[in-house]
Amino acid sequence: MSSTLADVDVLEPEPLRPIEDDDEARPASAWRTIIGNVEGQIGLVLGAIMLGIILFGRFFTPYSPTELGVGPQTVGPSTEHLLGTDNLGRDVFSRFLTGGDTILIVPLVAVTLAFLFGGSLGMLGAYARGRIDAVISRTFDLLLTLPPLLLVLVIIAGLGTSTIVLVVTVALVFVPRVGRVLRGATQAIVTNDYVAAAQARGERTASILGREVLPNIAAPAIADFALRITYAIIFVATLNFLGLGAQPPDPDWGLMVADSRNFLSVQPWATLAPAAGIAALSISFNLIADALTRHLTRETSKGVVPV
Amino acid sequence: MSTHGQPVLEVTDLTVGYRRPDGRTNEVVWKTSLELHPGTITGLAGESGCGKSTTALATIGYRSPGSQILGGTSVLDGTDLLTLSTPELRSLWGSRIAYVAQSATTALNPAIPVGRQLAQPLGVHLGLKGDELHKRQVELLDAMGLPEPEAALSRYPFQFSGGQQQRVAIAIALSCRPRVLLLDEPTTGLDVTTQARISALLQELVKETGVATLYVSHDLALLGGMADRLAVMYAGEIVEESTAAAVTKTPRHPYTQALIAAVPSIKRPRAVAGIAGRPPTHVVLDRCSFAERCSYRQPACTSEPIQLRELDGGHRVRCIRAEEIAAATRETTALPIPEIKDPTPLLEVAEVWCEYGSRRDGARAVVKGVSFDVRPGETVGIVGESGSGKSTLLRAIAGLHSPVDGAIRLRGNELARTAVQRPRQLRRELQLVFQNPDSSLNPRHTVQDIVARPIRLFREDVTRSKEKDAVGDLLESVKLPRSLAVRYPAELSGGQKQRIAIARAFAAQPTLLLCDEVTSALDVSVQATILELIADLALCFETAVVFVSHDLAVVRTVATRALVMKDGEVCEQADIEQLFSAPAHPYTRELLSAIPESIAAA
Repeated sequence: MSSTLADVDVLEPEPLRPIEDDDEARPASAWRTIIGNVEGQIGLVLGAIMLGIILFGRFFTPYSPTELGVGPQTVGPSTEHLLGTDNLGRDVFSRFLTGGDTILIVPLVAVTLAFLFGGSLGMLGAYARGRIDAVISRTFDLLLTLPPLLLVLVIIAGLGTSTIVLVVTVALVFVPRVGRVLRGATQAIVTNDYVAAAQARGERTASILGREVLPNIAAPAIADFALRITYAIIFVATLNFLGLGAQPPDPDWGLMVADSRNFLSVQPWATLAPAAGIAALSISFNLIADALTRHLTRETSKGVVPV
Repeated sequence: MSTHGQPVLEVTDLTVGYRRPDGRTNEVVWKTSLELHPGTITGLAGESGCGKSTTALATIGYRSPGSQILGGTSVLDGTDLLTLSTPELRSLWGSRIAYVAQSATTALNPAIPVGRQLAQPLGVHLGLKGDELHKRQVELLDAMGLPEPEAALSRYPFQFSGGQQQRVAIAIALSCRPRVLLLDEPTTGLDVTTQARISALLQELVKETGVATLYVSHDLALLGGMADRLAVMYAGEIVEESTAAAVTKTPRHPYTQALIAAVPSIKRPRAVAGIAGRPPTHVVLDRCSFAERCSYRQPACTSEPIQLRELDGGHRVRCIRAEEIAAATRETTALPIPEIKDPTPLLEVAEVWCEYGSRRDGARAVVKGVSFDVRPGETVGIVGESGSGKSTLLRAIAGLHSPVDGAIRLRGNELARTAVQRPRQLRRELQLVFQNPDSSLNPRHTVQDIVARPIRLFREDVTRSKEKDAVGDLLESVKLPRSLAVRYPAELSGGQKQRIAIARAFAAQPTLLLCDEVTSALDVSVQATILELIADLALCFETAVVFVSHDLAVVRTVATRALVMKDGEVCEQADIEQLFSAPAHPYTRELLSAIPESIAAA
């Protein structure tokens, strides 16, 4: 070994440099991404308006939404009846203001339930693999082979119509779909060594799924949640249209479309107003979901939402 | 630069930058000049992030996404490649300029038979068809040393081993007899014996075809043996350039010297010398870019720009103290040798068999009756190539893979097959550090969450209110600032992340630490500091270590005893001195002879 330099002043090891707060490195918050682009902005504004109408519209009704003959039958808009009247002489505007609640609440509750049950089962299947996964996945497949409307028809025929039955059946329709998405997302995560590290610590399955996996699939899960809500809105509107959900004389957008469609040429407003309400609600959710998906996929390189 | 004849590719003052979101440009390569000569290999070395790959790609006019070539020329046969349009470049790429990427697995299309992938450049650039094409395809694969070249043409990439895939990729690159060949870490990730064979093949092909080759690698030992000339890059500038022998045997720049000292060598047992700090992320022009990590620093180093100057024999170096440094040797730290106080085995592995796949579908045994002991405080290395079963064996000990037969005992207690079934006390005593900290640290947890978890599970002496202090102490013991506790893994460097993983393992106060290739995802400068850290902590806490690695030099550095594994069996098991001085098994000898050892022993 040759000599070291005599006049070398041996320096202390360099202290670790403080980590620069690099704006590029830190992903923008989800909220900022949504309000930062036009789609997100339109979605939020539209969503806020629809929420306002559905929640508070009932306090501003000029007439009772269910009372018959408050005006002449099937006439177009006038100063007394802003959206005209339907074939039974009810005020379309008052019915529009009060008819949105099932279409908002049933999808929200049903999709939440679907995520709780379908999501947990899908995650468990992907994590446990083997026989448990086979049983869960085949059950999902079986449920997926049943046409949703047929499934709902059978259940409602057996149990009758009520909001609870509606919520549970809609949830059941969405369980396998949600489950498969979260199963796929989980499969990409469980191969990571931090899951193995948790197993080696002897953590329980619930703890591993909740602590290690869930935060990492939150991105696709949230985006999927928003999309499922829009599907569910259309689905519930369809059920109401078919008379499997809300029952007359309840004011309900789906039901209103169904009742008034025969008079479309005479009084289009009675059909168009509720249809526009349904469309606006699902479009606003869709736009928000799009903005959110874009944010989350930009943030995480893997685990892109398989929609 | 003093090399015979005219260069094929002459790169002058190449400057490359990335556009930042705020509109400014971040220069990552600054005024770099290189010459590539026919039939010679020019090596380009440096840590990751030093701009070596960006430089290599920019010399052939390729702009990686977001990057811009800001200046300079790259002249091939009188044409400046940097002024050509993309269609013009495309006619040159693949025909006169060829490129071999790091991973053949991703470079080859998995859905297309290799014959058709090989036919593509031959058809597009040379217009070969029919019998002529077929003859050339077979000829090429044969020249690459692939067995049964005829039959190989119709096979898909997955039907070849990693080394064979890289041979196919090289065949594609050389198919049109290019004048310039770019190799970007072509053997990184391959087994050491495969690496040696591919390297020999490349050297032979370069001499035979006269292609001017630029070889990018982080591995100075490899380049020292293969390249004719060698340039070392740091912060986007060449800091040293000379013949490969001169650079590796008598490095004149402190960075080169530090890099060489950081490479673990079987000739310098138990010596490590990491480089503290990290390279800058952009070029530094007003001072020496290496100054803040340099132990030879003087005031003049940071007060003025440092020029690349020529010493005797065409040795170019960017350091004002190069002459003095030539005579100096970098100090290395000798790792402490743990003392074995108690010969009773801590861990006993007896006749363990592991399989993959179920019995019904045909199980494949990957660990076949392995037995060994680990005594308290000792470090046992397990060496083997990919597929040797070394990682599976480690996972079986950790309770992550159920062995089908055999017994694993810790202090005489038989361990259950899976970790959940083991009592908490035994789980605490066995801790694991994984290969890649990007995968072993949950990206959604803060450093505090990560390190506190084992404390909460295993340490009854630490109350909730003391957890934060305990985490801080652990961070300090792995030489990280306490303030890092609030960070997420994505905000840390690779070396820092691996330190966090080590802190998490020691949080449980284990008696046995299982290390699975813990340094293979890290730069060589960081590897040395991680090895030192593990050795220090193991000694300090009297922890025994099982250290799995494919790198013999790393095992030589840290272990006191080692097992050599091949195809699931232990070929040889011996004290480290004996294993390296008098290897008994032919496979051990083969492994030892495959290590590139161009770097002089200090």
